[in-house]
Amino acid sequence: MFKNYFLVAVRTLRRNLGYTMLNVIGLALGITCSLLLYLVIRHELSYDTFHSKADRIYRINVDKLTANGPETNAGTPFPMLATIKASLPELSPATHLYNTEGGTFTVLSNNDKVPAKKFREEKNVLFVEPAFFDLFDFPTGSVNARQALKDVNTVLLTQSIADRYFPGENPVGKVLRMDNVVNLKVTGVIPDAPENTDLPYLMLIDYESSKKINTFMNDSWNSTNSNQQVYFAMSPGSSLKQAEDRLNQITSKYRRISPGEKERYIFQPLLQMHFDDEYGTLSSRTISKTTLWALGLIGMFLVLVASINFVNLATAQALRRSKEVGMRKVLGASKPQLMTQFLCETGLITLVALLLSVVFAELLLPFLNQLLELQISFSILHDPQMLLFLLAVLVAVTFFAGFYPALVISGFQPISALKSKVATARVAGLSLRRTLVVVQFTICQVLIICTIIVHNQMEYFRSASLGFDKEAIVNIPVPAGKAGDLMALRPQLESHSAVKATSFAIAPPSANIDMNSSFQYDDFSVDRNFSVNLKLADENYLKTFSIPLLAGRMYEKSDTMQEFVVNETFLQKVGVKDPQEAIGKKLLVNGGQNEGKIVGVVKDYHLSSLRNEIPPVVMSTMTQVYFYLNAKIEQKNAKAALAHLQNVWLTAYPDDVFHYEFFDDSIARFYEEEQRQAHLFKVFSFIAIVIGCLGLYGLVSFMVAQRTKEVGVRKVLGASSASIVGLFSADFVKLVLIAFVIAGPISYYFMDKWLQDFSYRINIGYWVFLAAGALTLLIALTTVSVQALRAAFSNPVRALKTE
Amino acid sequence: MLKTVNLQKKYTTDEVETTALVNVNLQVRQGEFVAIMGPSGCGKSTLLNIIGLLDNPTSGEFYFLDKEISKFSERQRANLRKEHLGFVFQSFNLIDELTVYENVELPLIYLKVGNAERKQRVEQVLEQMQIAHRRNHFPQQLSGGQQQRVAIARAVVSKPKLLLADEPTGNLDSAHGQEVMQLLSSLNEQGTTIVMVTHSPTDADYAHRIVNLFDGQIISENVKELAIL
Ligand SMILES: Nc1ncnc2c1ncn2[C@@H]1O[C@H](COP(=O)(O)OP(=O)(O)O)[C@@H](O)[C@H]1O
Ligand SMILES: [Mg+2]
Repeated sequence: MFKNYFLVAVRTLRRNLGYTMLNVIGLALGITCSLLLYLVIRHELSYDTFHSKADRIYRINVDKLTANGPETNAGTPFPMLATIKASLPELSPATHLYNTEGGTFTVLSNNDKVPAKKFREEKNVLFVEPAFFDLFDFPTGSVNARQALKDVNTVLLTQSIADRYFPGENPVGKVLRMDNVVNLKVTGVIPDAPENTDLPYLMLIDYESSKKINTFMNDSWNSTNSNQQVYFAMSPGSSLKQAEDRLNQITSKYRRISPGEKERYIFQPLLQMHFDDEYGTLSSRTISKTTLWALGLIGMFLVLVASINFVNLATAQALRRSKEVGMRKVLGASKPQLMTQFLCETGLITLVALLLSVVFAELLLPFLNQLLELQISFSILHDPQMLLFLLAVLVAVTFFAGFYPALVISGFQPISALKSKVATARVAGLSLRRTLVVVQFTICQVLIICTIIVHNQMEYFRSASLGFDKEAIVNIPVPAGKAGDLMALRPQLESHSAVKATSFAIAPPSANIDMNSSFQYDDFSVDRNFSVNLKLADENYLKTFSIPLLAGRMYEKSDTMQEFVVNETFLQKVGVKDPQEAIGKKLLVNGGQNEGKIVGVVKDYHLSSLRNEIPPVVMSTMTQVYFYLNAKIEQKNAKAALAHLQNVWLTAYPDDVFHYEFFDDSIARFYEEEQRQAHLFKVFSFIAIVIGCLGLYGLVSFMVAQRTKEVGVRKVLGASSASIVGLFSADFVKLVLIAFVIAGPISYYFMDKWLQDFSYRINIGYWVFLAAGALTLLIALTTVSVQALRAAFSNPVRALKTE
Repeated sequence: MLKTVNLQKKYTTDEVETTALVNVNLQVRQGEFVAIMGPSGCGKSTLLNIIGLLDNPTSGEFYFLDKEISKFSERQRANLRKEHLGFVFQSFNLIDELTVYENVELPLIYLKVGNAERKQRVEQVLEQMQIAHRRNHFPQQLSGGQQQRVAIARAVVSKPKLLLADEPTGNLDSAHGQEVMQLLSSLNEQGTTIVMVTHSPTDADYAHRIVNLFDGQIISENVKELAIL
């Protein structure tokens, strides 16, 4: 029986090759996308699931409520761990770790003639205690990691770092110097950190050594840093809530917080970290569950759009099969038997599409990895989960796409079927097909609208005025605490004609470095319940970044805090309307340690990504904390300028590694996640449109074929080609319009929600919807016209003969 | 074998009612060869389709193998068709995607006949219809006469008690038509009951009895055999 089905299926499909190809390619495209999205989603859901205690590991975060709004942080003060160990025994094992933003590593050579090799790492240098390995199950190969990091000044290298720093050598026992401060002995080489962890590391250094690097924190309860984090496992059976309350009782005794501010330490499950950008992760990758849902939905939609093609084409094609169905019924085939036959046929097409999509996915995965900066791989045969997914797709698509056509076809009355008298409209399920086409158009339009809006918001990020100049500016880090060495060489730095201006500062205007301080303004009598963002920078800062002053002047050159410049938001917050009024007023910051006069008011500029609002800012000088040299250079002589800057820089810091980043690039990195999402949207909505067009093309060619005779008659009667194209197009125009009416509100709802994440965002203009509508209409009409024109230009006599 | 009592068939389409059969009373005995004749549109095919359980009458009774079956469900009728009936159509209705062999094999597959027996029965009937040498050809590669022989082979391979033929020679030239009629005639001699619709008096000559239909009514029956004897 099945052999017979199979033979007929293969021969029928081969005979209607065009139809088969449209179906197979459309389905394959849809399944490929869903396959890729499945891989992405599975990867994102797998973060840190490989630790045996994963479901009871937590990180301690802090939620603060300040007058500037809520603030969240994953950092904890140093004494936190000792407190937990002393008072909360159910939080065990517990450990803290420190993550550096970067470091310089020198491979010391034992031979004086060979110069030392230097490397610069920008992230993922992790300081951990031996207890780290009690809590987490990272692969350590044959190394006893607990033992290896027992002593101070030890380091475990990952394989790829070992290969890079010590090519062709055994690094164990060798010495690595970090930041020219501390010598670390290599005690082992461990496998690279898994791709799916939010605690990524290039190397693991003993925790004690971090105190020599992280000199900005002290042992007090009031010194925190988001890179200093505490993790613990909750003992089974104990109450999380109670432990959390108890911890907050204890900390509130030690923590000094401003009146009017509130804070609470909260326990965040390890397995939630990856989906919560509120607190961030050390991998600096998070993806919201909403985005994952959106991706999953897009995957399903793409399969849906492809399946709809299938239903449409198959029911339209049903007429051609009517003779066969009729005869089979005459011979006694039952309806279930015929349904089985047609479902098998769908299954066969789906299977071919599935195999094809596995090949496509294999080919496209590298591009996707590049786009998403991931390293996902898959090998079907060794991946039972994947096989299960594919099987599920096969069954789902076969039933979804095959059931209706099978039902229609198997329901033919035998005599009518033999006479090919089955009513066209009914067979083709015209209203159902219309509905399905509307669904397709709706999905396409929603995707187009979302893509346009996401794209516009991305463009806005790129082009929005941030209140400062970001073009042709390089940010060059300087070793912590040593900015003065390079500042002394400023005349040399600026001696090159391509270097326009230089400024030393804690950070460029928009950066992820914040320093907050309480303050008192003017007569010091009013206790203001908000803190200010301290932007410490030299006197050239405003000039270098072209930030305009509204009143007064920039402060004078100084190594310590003497004079202040504040921003507009600051004035608003303290209730000063006229910038001039603030000039000369006294200001106290840093817990009363620094006092001075306001000498200028600066126009508001953005301090971080456009997700956040501009905080009140107090600017002043403090050479000690300048981490960056910012240089405005001539774009066309950038190379020469950079070489010059490097030269001077290396004179000041001969033991360090020079590196730099263009300011606009570092700003673009604020929006990496959004950019990735935008790319995904673009790619997948494009594919959805392609699949939709394939289906439309097939459907119209079928309609045209069906009406060849009618077109012939009309032409003989004098119809113009245009009116014939119109005949076929009118129907589809209506469908696009219906879809448009549905797609508009749906996409508005979702994109409005998405935009809420950004404090600064575009307005969704009605033109977006019109453009999307027009675009779909254009695509649909083009597809329809190509086919319709063929019918319109065909020779009417030939058309009439073909019956 | 079969008997109809006051059989009526009405078609209703787009509010137009066509009465295709009016009070048809017809009896066919085991082993008979009956020809139904009449002008185009008089209801011959309709009658044959009802007899062939492809269609239900609007009213009246229909006994097939002594069972009243006019109210049978589609599934029950499909089962009876499968086991007891064979059909031959004017337009052959072979399945284009199947070879000669596979077309003939199909009824046995639906009857769930075992592999070996199926092969043997198909080969035998292909021989009998003198079409065995074309067993691997597709229908479009055959002449009309050959196609109709395949269709007859397919109709009789399941050894039906009743063979129904709707203008089996209608699409054939006279030489091929005679060939087909001889095949039917010899099948009848071997015991198969046949009811055939035809326009051609020559073809009708092969039958034992001719039923004349006009406007959905039987207007005369002449039993030829008696005349000859
Ligand atoms: N499916 C149908 N729907 C409506 N009318 C039909 C249908 N089939 C046949 N008829 C009508 O019933 C009458 C008898 O048709 P038919 O049995 O095919 O005639 P014959 O085979 O004798 O030429 C004709 O008038 C025909 O138009
Ligand atoms: Mg007829």
